[in-house]
Amino acid sequence: MLRTALRNVLAHKARLAMTVLAVSLGVAFVCGTLVFADSSAAAYRAAASKNFADIAVTVTPKDPPPGATANQGTDVLDDALARKLTDVPGVALVRPSADGSATLNAADGTPLRAGRAWANLAGAYVPGKDGRDSRYPLAKGHAPRNGDELAVDSATAAAGHFGIGDEVTLATDGPVMTKRLVGIVTTKDTRVTAGGTLALFDKATAQRLFASPGNYTGIDLSAAPGTDQFTLADRVTAVLPAGRAQATSGAAQATRQATYVDTLTRGYEKLPLVFAGVSLFIGSFLIINTFTMLVSRRTREIALLRAIGATRRQVVRSVLWEAVLLGLAASATGFLLGLAIASVLPDILSTAQDTLPHGPLVIGPRPVVAALGVGVGVTVLAAWLPSRRAAKVAPIEAMRSAEQPPSTTRSRIRGVVGLVLLALGAGLLISLTGVKDASVENLQSAMFGCALLAIAMIVLAPLLAAPIIRLTGRLTGRLGITGHLARENALRDPRRTAATASALMVSTALVAGLAVIGNSTGQALDHQAAAGLGADHVISTRTPTTRIDPAAVQRVADASGVRIATAVADSTLFTGGQVRQISGIDPDTVNAVMKLDFVSGSAKDLGPGRIAVSTTIARQHGLSTGSHLNAGMGSSQDVKQYTVVGIYKDNPVAHDALGTRTEVQRNSTTPHSVQRILVRTDNGTASRTTETRLRTAVGNNPLLKVQDRAELVHEAAGTMSNLLTLMHGLLAIGAVIAALGIVNTLAMSVSERTREIGVLRAIGMDRSGIRRMIRLESVTVAAFGTLLGLAGGLFGAWAVGALANGAMEQYALVLPWGTLLLVCLVSLAISVVAAAVPARRAAALSPLAAVADT
Amino acid sequence: MSQTFPSPGLPATEPAARATGLTKAYGNGSTQVTALDEVFVEFARSRFTAVMGPSGSGKSTLMHCLAGLVPVTSGSARIGGIELSLLKERELTQLRRDKVGFVFQGFNLLPTLTALENITLPLRLAGQQPDTAWLETVIATVGLAGRLGHRPAELSGGQQQRVAVARALISRPEIIFADEPTGNLDSRSGAEILGFLRDSVRELGQTVVMVTHDPVAAAYADRVVFLADGRVVDELHEPTADRVPDRMHRFEAQDHTR
Repeated sequence: MLRTALRNVLAHKARLAMTVLAVSLGVAFVCGTLVFADSSAAAYRAAASKNFADIAVTVTPKDPPPGATANQGTDVLDDALARKLTDVPGVALVRPSADGSATLNAADGTPLRAGRAWANLAGAYVPGKDGRDSRYPLAKGHAPRNGDELAVDSATAAAGHFGIGDEVTLATDGPVMTKRLVGIVTTKDTRVTAGGTLALFDKATAQRLFASPGNYTGIDLSAAPGTDQFTLADRVTAVLPAGRAQATSGAAQATRQATYVDTLTRGYEKLPLVFAGVSLFIGSFLIINTFTMLVSRRTREIALLRAIGATRRQVVRSVLWEAVLLGLAASATGFLLGLAIASVLPDILSTAQDTLPHGPLVIGPRPVVAALGVGVGVTVLAAWLPSRRAAKVAPIEAMRSAEQPPSTTRSRIRGVVGLVLLALGAGLLISLTGVKDASVENLQSAMFGCALLAIAMIVLAPLLAAPIIRLTGRLTGRLGITGHLARENALRDPRRTAATASALMVSTALVAGLAVIGNSTGQALDHQAAAGLGADHVISTRTPTTRIDPAAVQRVADASGVRIATAVADSTLFTGGQVRQISGIDPDTVNAVMKLDFVSGSAKDLGPGRIAVSTTIARQHGLSTGSHLNAGMGSSQDVKQYTVVGIYKDNPVAHDALGTRTEVQRNSTTPHSVQRILVRTDNGTASRTTETRLRTAVGNNPLLKVQDRAELVHEAAGTMSNLLTLMHGLLAIGAVIAALGIVNTLAMSVSERTREIGVLRAIGMDRSGIRRMIRLESVTVAAFGTLLGLAGGLFGAWAVGALANGAMEQYALVLPWGTLLLVCLVSLAISVVAAAVPARRAAALSPLAAVADT
Repeated sequence: MSQTFPSPGLPATEPAARATGLTKAYGNGSTQVTALDEVFVEFARSRFTAVMGPSGSGKSTLMHCLAGLVPVTSGSARIGGIELSLLKERELTQLRRDKVGFVFQGFNLLPTLTALENITLPLRLAGQQPDTAWLETVIATVGLAGRLGHRPAELSGGQQQRVAVARALISRPEIIFADEPTGNLDSRSGAEILGFLRDSVRELGQTVVMVTHDPVAAAYADRVVFLADGRVVDELHEPTADRVPDRMHRFEAQDHTR
């Protein structure tokens, strides 16, 4: 049977090539992603081990405080300890460090690669015996020698357009500092090379900023030749003050850092894997369709095999072997394609913010196994149904010449099953539209409903083909006899038409659904971000540890063009095991800067022990005005009882709850500072000038964001750009696979209809007529898939959207006409393109084909 | 039945189709096979001619050449005075559509179209509306009224071939080529089809050329042309089912003794 399978595969090379391509596309995404992940992990690991190459052991304070910038518990690692460590046998070099985070302003005054404290590194330049710090080789200038001097690494200097001698403004957590750039160093630290920044101070300054005067945040030790890292770590641990400091081996540290960076980049795998899943899913239709066509074409041959004694099982096995061979071919091509994808992925995924490391491709066993498993597995699974059909071929069919009409009982069963699934899916989705919150369970049942709906559509598609194509046929029918014939040909085998259209249907549904939800959510976010905001400008902090001091608030209030500047203290409210965000405001001025819509009560009644909550919180905790809520505020350890004096409609500017600023500040970890300043200008509009003035008022602190309303909206919508990428990627993948499927089906149809096309040519249809007929058939199939997909996608989007409606106040179904039109045009385009080759082949057929003996 | 042929504008002496020194060779060099070797034959208007000959005699090739389905190697093939070798692909298609009708052995109807749609297909390809009176005449001639809404799969072989005959008649072509039209039919249906073809000649003035190897079928014709080894070897007027095999045997015998 293997030999028969091999012969069959070889006999249908061209036909199977399309199927192989479709499967290999999916395999390529899987392999590409895995190879990419392995390669980038290896690159990070290699880079990390370079960082720690000469560090055998690092000593750090025990139980380091959360956040590198906090100053507590850093009085252990002093010079005395450093000297003591020098005497430990096997220690070759002792290098103390004082590390933390600093955000710099670029030369043009805008924050440089800001927003991620973990990548905005800062440290001390600690000269060794030779007067140099071996971690940071100087490329230019000299090392910082006093509190006014600064060194940065070459990449940072390039990105910020700094030169030696420039004044650089930067901030660690508090006020802004200005230092003179005196040196440019190089570094191998992966956090910096992957798109971070590095600022180096002199030892005393760094100690003051990140530890405490005279103390370090860590001490790196390198081992003398012949001394093992772990032995050294043990020896060092022995001399450390017990319970206050700890020793970690360099190897362990390298691993930890690599894992850390690794996790940060792991998110990049998701998108290609989604593509892989979708392309495999759509591709499996193509496989099913191809094998079904092959089986039905070989009915006589199979019947003959059965007649001469092949068992059903042998027939099934022969078909499955064919699938295995096909899968192997798909895996191989997919794997190669995947390597190509893996080598370009770093460039595609790298942005100005994140540079992914480029390294040699690492091909582990994982992608190889995945390629084989996915390629062969999917193909064999998809070929299983057609193989069952092949087994059902009765030996007597070898003697029959006419094809049997499809059984009506089977299509009745199909109809019943499809309708039941449809009813279940649609019912589930509709029942969810009444639900008012987007909890995980509800989302899961929504997804389940969508999946049911999709399967129902796939099952029902062959039955829907006839009525829908008759409808579209009214249009094509106007194009004369070619249109009429195209429609009839598409209707000839509804199951095949439906299977061909399925790829397009699924991708259209996905894209249309995503587009609608994305568009609606985007608009809602836009509305929402702006809805609650009465202020023209918002000054906020980039990191949770950054503070705005009262002096800065005063300077903002005094800035010209500012009518009102209200400080808001942000903190947390622990209640019922949940963490809520509370905003501390000034009840007298809040209405000028926030558009609060109170359902009951008012902001005027806020005071000590009296808070207001959003409608969502009120619903979840069953609160109403006048009721009490037990909660812990900010860093305060004890739970207090708060009286609810007002309930306002959800407002992203006001967060979950409102309190007075004094009370919120009192309980906060940063009692004297605030987190936001909401600014109302004199003329009620935002402008560049005011923005510059405000920036100046906060001392050009790179850790503070000064945004106007439009920027705030833009930031809120930022998450949508991922969805857009996903959508367009899916559209492209769907189009490619659908095109392959259409080419496949049309080629099969043309070769089956050779005689008919010959007749048409003989009795007077010209070549362009034949081409037009095939093209129109392709367009008909594509239109069917697209229509069904749009219907399903829009229904799903409506149902899931209704769920979002509960979660998002401003959500309304907004149809993205542009994207929907694009989807239709793409379908039309691929159907025409896909028809090109089969149409050309059909047109080239000689009219003699009609009279030739078959 | 007032509709008659030939169509106006042609000299009365011009036959519906004519082969002059028609040669058709397949392949080249040592593998070259000459299917037709300088054939001279004319098919007069409003006549039913049968072309007979053993397998490989070139009778089908002659038909293909005269119908413009394959290009000739040398010599001339004309339909109603039009030299086919001078026509481009598109013009040939048009000629087949307007001036030639076909009846195939395997019926070759389009399975997706109804009987009526199949009949009017050549007109629709030409972008014309069928002439109602003529359509009714044709349908009446082949006796298909009542089955017009059916698809080919729902018709018997004889009925399908009747649809094919009607399809050939509908555009009032210069000439109808019938390639073994009874080959796939039982004798009764075959006789019916042959009757329709003969009626179309006698009553409608149609010109029909039929390729066949069946003497009984050939006997329906006004004239039989015998082909052997790519040449016209004999001819018989007013054939009967008895005389045709006689002639066949005669030149087949000559063939053997040569």
